Amino acid sequence: MNDKMKIFNTYHPLGLFIYFASAIVITMFMINPVMLTIAIISGIAFVLTLTDIRTFLKNLAYEIPFFILIALTNPLFSHNGVTPLFFLNGNAVTLEAVLYGLDMGIMILGVIYWCKCYSIIVDSEKFIYLFGKAIPKLSLVLSMALKFVPVFKRQYRKISDAQKCFGYYATDSYFDKIRNALRVFSCLITWSLESSIDTSVAMKAKGYGLKGRTHFHNFRFHIRDLFLIAVTLFMDIVVFTGIGTDIIDFRFYPKITQINLNAESIAVYGAFIILMFMPAFLEIKEKIKWKYYVERI
Amino acid sequence: MDYQRKYEKSENKNIKKISIIKYIICVIIIPTVIFIGTKLFDGKKYAFLTAVVVLLSCVPFIISFEKGKNSTEKMVILAVMIALSVFGRYCFSMIPHFKPITAITVITGIYMGGEMGFLCGALAAVLSNFIFGQGPWTPFQMLAWGMTGLIAGLLSRYLKKYMVALAAYGAVSGIIYSMIMDIWSAMWQDGVFNIKRYVACIISGIPTTATYIVSNIIFLLILARPVGRKLERVKLKADIIEKD
Repeated sequence: MNDKMKIFNTYHPLGLFIYFASAIVITMFMINPVMLTIAIISGIAFVLTLTDIRTFLKNLAYEIPFFILIALTNPLFSHNGVTPLFFLNGNAVTLEAVLYGLDMGIMILGVIYWCKCYSIIVDSEKFIYLFGKAIPKLSLVLSMALKFVPVFKRQYRKISDAQKCFGYYATDSYFDKIRNALRVFSCLITWSLESSIDTSVAMKAKGYGLKGRTHFHNFRFHIRDLFLIAVTLFMDIVVFTGIGTDIIDFRFYPKITQINLNAESIAVYGAFIILMFMPAFLEIKEKIKWKYYVERI
Repeated sequence: MDYQRKYEKSENKNIKKISIIKYIICVIIIPTVIFIGTKLFDGKKYAFLTAVVVLLSCVPFIISFEKGKNSTEKMVILAVMIALSVFGRYCFSMIPHFKPITAITVITGIYMGGEMGFLCGALAAVLSNFIFGQGPWTPFQMLAWGMTGLIAGLLSRYLKKYMVALAAYGAVSGIIYSMIMDIWSAMWQDGVFNIKRYVACIISGIPTTATYIVSNIIFLLILARPVGRKLERVKLKADIIEKD
């Protein structure tokens, strides 16, 4: 499926960056299991709207062992807590440590899902646009390097084919393959350094570094971007107030505390749900709209 | 002539400004962030704070490249070296963890100076993570690879001369890289630095570290001299004069 078809992809990079920064940072700070459950479910929902289910399941095969590893190793390193389950080498394995490990595992998986969404949505083009004003030279270097990667790929294949035509290292042995790769890599370096000088001469000829040059980009700031930023910041304020005033405070050590379920904490949970499920909601809304319009044709 | 003098004057002013900004970041901003962070998180969730401090410590290099005197040739060569190290991950992706990023960063550091080495490593981390996945580990990779490039630049006199020193540096940089990254993997699990967990991470990472060491040594020994020659030639051809 094409990433460009996603509604969240068409938002302005500034709003997207603020949104992802707040979602990932809040998830990283959370200990409260309710908040973490919201974060991971929304992250999975968002990933599922962005990628197809097969890639999701394929990645899950790596993520579940990772999760189990984190959850199981925590009690081995941390002996805090007051409810011992059993003793291992004279050290108590406590219920609190086991549950804390599970909690941390959920947090890490949540952050990984959100980072995945970030990687899909905020691609290099948006990143360079965002930081282009603050670091113009380095973002130019980055965008040049990005352009060079596919160019090198093509050139690598060309050189490799030519070498094979000469009869170099055409066998299937592992050692020959590595030697071939190194040889072609060396050729590629020569070629790329030589052509880089041409690039820089061309840049100079076109007036790079002179005053008054502008850059082309295709991002426009709409009302909905303002709306996204406003909603994000408002929900951030609500959630951070919740963190700051201990409304959603939750502790594992020394003894597990009760999950707060009064009106204030439910308001914070609600704000967090709105914040985290916003992109998945927008994607699903767009999908339903699309289906509806297709059916009307 | 008048314009030239004016330009040089503003350059000098610029350089002074850069060094002031660098000192402000190192002496004021980073300690303030640490102080506020420890007060705010009191004893837990240091992982995020560490990531922020690590990112801040990359900023002086970025600023001095932005504001410093840099020719177009230098920028394009930097872009080429970054792209090569990212691309190298494709060429050798048949062997896990066997990647030339460290080697190319070290070579850039030796032949183009420490600053370029740092930027090559740091930006290669950012760029390759656009392909392999961004995350809170990106600042750590930036710092780890950047430092290997910077130190290579500082030791360039010895690394250029002695192959043994080069191989040793490759091994050490592999170990340091995985030790810096293990700080992150240990902290990331529950937010505080647990020395036992750190040791466990290092021990469980020994095979990976060994692959790093072997790949660094192989790539450095094979690539350093020829690539160095090519870089020297391009430097001569493009008339890049280093002022260190």
